[in-house]
Amino acid sequence: MDPPEPFAILDCGLVRCPTGRSCANLRELRDAVQTVPEAVLEHHMMRCALDDYFSLYEFPNDLARWCWSALGDQILAEHLGVVDPYQHPSIGALREKLVDFIEDRLWGLDRVPWCRPGLELHLIQSRLVTYDTGERASTPAALVESIERMSIRSLFYHVHEARRRSGGKTDDFSQWLEDLGVEGRVVRRLREIDFYFLNLSQLRDEILATLRQCLMDPMAAKGPDR
Amino acid sequence: MNLLDQYEQVVGHQEVQRLRRLGERLGGKRVVHVNSTKSGGGVAEILGWMIPLMRELGIDASWEVIAGPPEFYQVTKALHNGLQGLPVALRARDFALHYEVNRANAERLNLQADVVFVHDPQPVFLPAFTPEQQVGRWVWRCHIDASKPNRAIWKHLEKAISHYQAAVFSMAAFTRPLTSPMFLIPPSIDPLSDKNCPIPEPERLSALSQHGIDADRPLLLQVSRFDRFKDPLGVIEAYRLLKPYYPELQLVLAGGPADDDPEGAEVLREVMSRAADDKDIKVLMLPPDAHRTINALQRSAIIVLQKSLKEGFGLTVTEALWKGKPVVGGACGGITLQVHDYHTGFLVHSAPGAAYRIRYLLRYAEKRLRMGNTGHEFVREHFLVLRHLRDYLTMLLCLQQPGSEILAL
Repeated sequence: MDPPEPFAILDCGLVRCPTGRSCANLRELRDAVQTVPEAVLEHHMMRCALDDYFSLYEFPNDLARWCWSALGDQILAEHLGVVDPYQHPSIGALREKLVDFIEDRLWGLDRVPWCRPGLELHLIQSRLVTYDTGERASTPAALVESIERMSIRSLFYHVHEARRRSGGKTDDFSQWLEDLGVEGRVVRRLREIDFYFLNLSQLRDEILATLRQCLMDPMAAKGPDR
Repeated sequence: MNLLDQYEQVVGHQEVQRLRRLGERLGGKRVVHVNSTKSGGGVAEILGWMIPLMRELGIDASWEVIAGPPEFYQVTKALHNGLQGLPVALRARDFALHYEVNRANAERLNLQADVVFVHDPQPVFLPAFTPEQQVGRWVWRCHIDASKPNRAIWKHLEKAISHYQAAVFSMAAFTRPLTSPMFLIPPSIDPLSDKNCPIPEPERLSALSQHGIDADRPLLLQVSRFDRFKDPLGVIEAYRLLKPYYPELQLVLAGGPADDDPEGAEVLREVMSRAADDKDIKVLMLPPDAHRTINALQRSAIIVLQKSLKEGFGLTVTEALWKGKPVVGGACGGITLQVHDYHTGFLVHSAPGAAYRIRYLLRYAEKRLRMGNTGHEFVREHFLVLRHLRDYLTMLLCLQQPGSEILAL
């Protein structure tokens, strides 16, 4: 079998398309989550990671963040914060889960929480644009070097977007290493990284730490027996 | 050296490569921009750099300007205000004049193009009066906050907007539901312009001494119109709260003359009266082309304020961040997209809040420096002209290839 092609580093960006719709209270959020196009949910639950330039946010999605900071509804924010969209088979299934949490919360409240003017959640959808940077990595060590200096957008494309492309199975890095014949445990440990709950800077650190540990110290790569 | 090469020195090779790749995909397309003035104002400034850059990328871009009698501009000024929600009273004949001038311009202008960008509400009815086969796609570029327009004005403009295949806004908060697809393209600053380019040290010092500013003492600066929404009185209040702790502090409020704006003149009088005989407060009336003076002031400030109560995008914040200054800004409009607590400055909600954050920044030189560097990089990544151009070109590709699949370049 031919060796795999060198790893191609891609960069990406978003074309953001507002819907003109916004939410000022929890009931409006429920209605929006029920009815907006899937691309809107995809943006606010997944692609919003690209908007976190300063790694500011504790919660990995816009809905949880908005409930926490604008509505002051910490309970719902915590519930929405643990919804992992990549663990859902479809956006439809994700939508059902989100609506269920929000309705359940609305059911238990005496008053619908509102945000202050200016803190509305403006709903948008986005389209991903990818660019080939021209950079290639031919060995695992070269890949580590590339990951160190690639943009966080590249990281998003090769991890988050790759999970979407592969139906949740794999990221591009571990797939390439697997194709290259790197030991299965390295691949498994990369795939075990809880990428959705890390911001992109933390994700870079975690991937690099895992790869360095595995590639520099093959014994450590074996990890604990399962 | 061509233009793109000059920008490459600021934004790097990758960004220019991306643009060239977009240019290859769109090469030969004819794009026309239409607005209502060739000089003065933000839109003319944008088109001034965008047209040559588009041409350098192989796009056949041109710029047309509509013309009308003086009363037309009074009507469009009212439309502009009404679109932003201010109360305006226009009569049926004013709306008729808006149609009529658009009709005449549709006949006069060269609008044969693959895409025509119509900027703001003045030329918005051009598609209604242009033969269908002349233009591939119409895109309305709205530079103002249209989220809560005056109802009568919206009813009038809505008839025009339905002719467009897409609309572009600067921020999601500025939009309202439309039938055509919408795109977000934030504005930008030009790092090579007089307002933002590096300036020689002697020129900077000369600008300070010309306005009686001591180059050796810390300077707080707000650059903005004398407008209540910019809260210049709040800035003075914050400065006064700080002065006992930092007696060497100076404050400059720099804005344009307010001769044609009765409310501006009133605000200016209040500012002058509040500044009273404090020699460390300078209220500067600068001419509209004093770009290098503003550049010098921004580079000389220790902290820049934009303590607005209501704001559009707030490009003065972008300019200050680009010059490596932490910004203390009012938590409103586009300032919230640019100022991030402890990263590029602080968002504040009151004059005491501004004073408190400035005190913190004055105390920690190292944090000021770090925030300044972060702000500079943040602007490089998000708010320079090449990103702005890239957004336009990517949007054109999206219109050409509609759908939600990934767009690969």
